[in-house]
Amino acid sequence: MNLQRVYAIAARKFASLRRDKRMFGFIVLMPALQILLFGWAIGGTPTDLNVIIVDDGPAEQSAIFIGHVEGGDALLVSFSDSMDDANSSVVNGDAWAVLHLLPDGTISVVLDNSNQQVTNTILLEVRDAMQEASGGQLPLHIAEPIYGDRDPSFIDFLAPGIMTLVCFMFSTILTTMAFVGERHDGTLDRVFAAGTQPSEVMLGHIGAFSGILIGQVTVVIAIATLGFDIPINGSVLLLFAVCLLLGWAAMCLGLVISSKAKSEFQAMQLNMPLLFPVLLLSGILWPVEALPGWLQPVSWALPTTWTAEACRSIMIRGWGLESYSVQMALLINAIFGLLMLTIASRTIRVRKS
Amino acid sequence: MAAISVKGLVRGYGPIQVLQGLDMAVDEGSIYGLLGPSGCGKTTLLKVILGFLEPESGTLNVNGEIPGSDVGYAPQEIALYPDLSIAETMRFHGRLHGMKAEQILSRQAWLIDFLDLPEPSRPVGKLSGGQKRRVSLAVALLHEPNLLLLDEPTVGVDPELRARIWNHLQEIASSGTTIVITTHYIDEAGKANRVGLMRDGVLLAEDTPQSVMESQSSSSLEEAFLALCRREVKA
Repeated sequence: MNLQRVYAIAARKFASLRRDKRMFGFIVLMPALQILLFGWAIGGTPTDLNVIIVDDGPAEQSAIFIGHVEGGDALLVSFSDSMDDANSSVVNGDAWAVLHLLPDGTISVVLDNSNQQVTNTILLEVRDAMQEASGGQLPLHIAEPIYGDRDPSFIDFLAPGIMTLVCFMFSTILTTMAFVGERHDGTLDRVFAAGTQPSEVMLGHIGAFSGILIGQVTVVIAIATLGFDIPINGSVLLLFAVCLLLGWAAMCLGLVISSKAKSEFQAMQLNMPLLFPVLLLSGILWPVEALPGWLQPVSWALPTTWTAEACRSIMIRGWGLESYSVQMALLINAIFGLLMLTIASRTIRVRKS
Repeated sequence: MAAISVKGLVRGYGPIQVLQGLDMAVDEGSIYGLLGPSGCGKTTLLKVILGFLEPESGTLNVNGEIPGSDVGYAPQEIALYPDLSIAETMRFHGRLHGMKAEQILSRQAWLIDFLDLPEPSRPVGKLSGGQKRRVSLAVALLHEPNLLLLDEPTVGVDPELRARIWNHLQEIASSGTTIVITTHYIDEAGKANRVGLMRDGVLLAEDTPQSVMESQSSSSLEEAFLALCRREVKA
């Protein structure tokens, strides 16, 4: 390993990157935009859901219930005297639910159950309102949770996964174009004629891209936590380290693509079938435990699954380096990165045929 | 003494046979002109010498650490980064060879003057074809290697400059540099110490330009090459 050669390659690549303004903008702005869109579009709690209350309940209790429901953002309440009218509103699609407050203090809920997230939001609101109306006398008591908020929002679960995905995706894209074509136009031949080792070429590229990677990870974490008010209960530094290591591993994957692809178009095409399974199999949108049993091992072979899990542990549970999931994330990413680096080095060394 | 000696070299790409039992000897401190039509295997031979391709059979001996700083290589393709300036290109390749900054700058100044290159801040991608070709040559000469492998270095270079390049090559050869140069300007290879006429993966002849011409009773290398090819076809 000759460090001067690694430096020469890093400096050369960095000079190219700095010159390509559009690319630079893309590299910095796209992850920021992506995470903003995710934050706005997915995982927020629905608001202003139309529900109709038919109040036949005991006066005092009903007043507390209605006060609670009207006080929140989730439900937009209107009233009806007739169950038939109320039901037909649901049938017509004008309301999501009818809450019938009955004389014995119980509540009957009639739902348009076509949207699970909407139903969950309504039922959660009803539960809380009942709890309050009954003066805490409900037979169900939920203790203060050990990890997470009393009312967990989906975005708290989603954010660590999305951060993982964005770090992974943009780090891969970052290096995908690194030396497409150089294997065929003779530029790499010249570099190798100087006695440069493939591993030196790889490390040089990683060096040049690392500056950008650090910027990307910082932007992603900053937007997620500041922009969407997602708490980080554990160490921000550890979170940064885990995301950065994933970024490096993903950059190594990008280098593999770059070394295999014959053209830029092909490199972009190779990216697509990689990124979609990662999104679906990494427990980012939905728990891995919900996957069919035979598919779960595939999930746990992906560095993104471990990273998303580790990010959740750090952000929500406030766990540190001593936790299994964080250790595994660091280990798996390191192994994955080194493996990719080896493959990429071997690929550009391959004798032309 | 032989700087490069090749015996019975066979190398192809899968089912395609390119080099078919080639013998070749290049003396140290000489210019060796490798001539032949495109597709005859010149570039493949250079890549075997550089260690990029492994021979399927046959032996190859090359003096010095190759690949490494003992060799200067100008591929047939321009093979330069178009977004880098001439100075950045020199700095990049100089650093790869472990040269110091001031060493690179003084060599660069000399090469720019010698090869009539534009100012060093110009991006390589914006240069003309001939200028790019000369930058490519400059990169190969930059670290003053013991062995130069130049694949078609004079394409698109004007005759006056081509003559100057040959003069310089003769100069450094006499001070010990070994040079293998491929060209399709067959007559320009008359200035080489030895030429190898290559066709279908073997050398039809390997001798001094003078002897090759005399053996075919031709007045030019080009004519001699034609005569050799004709004889080969008949056989």
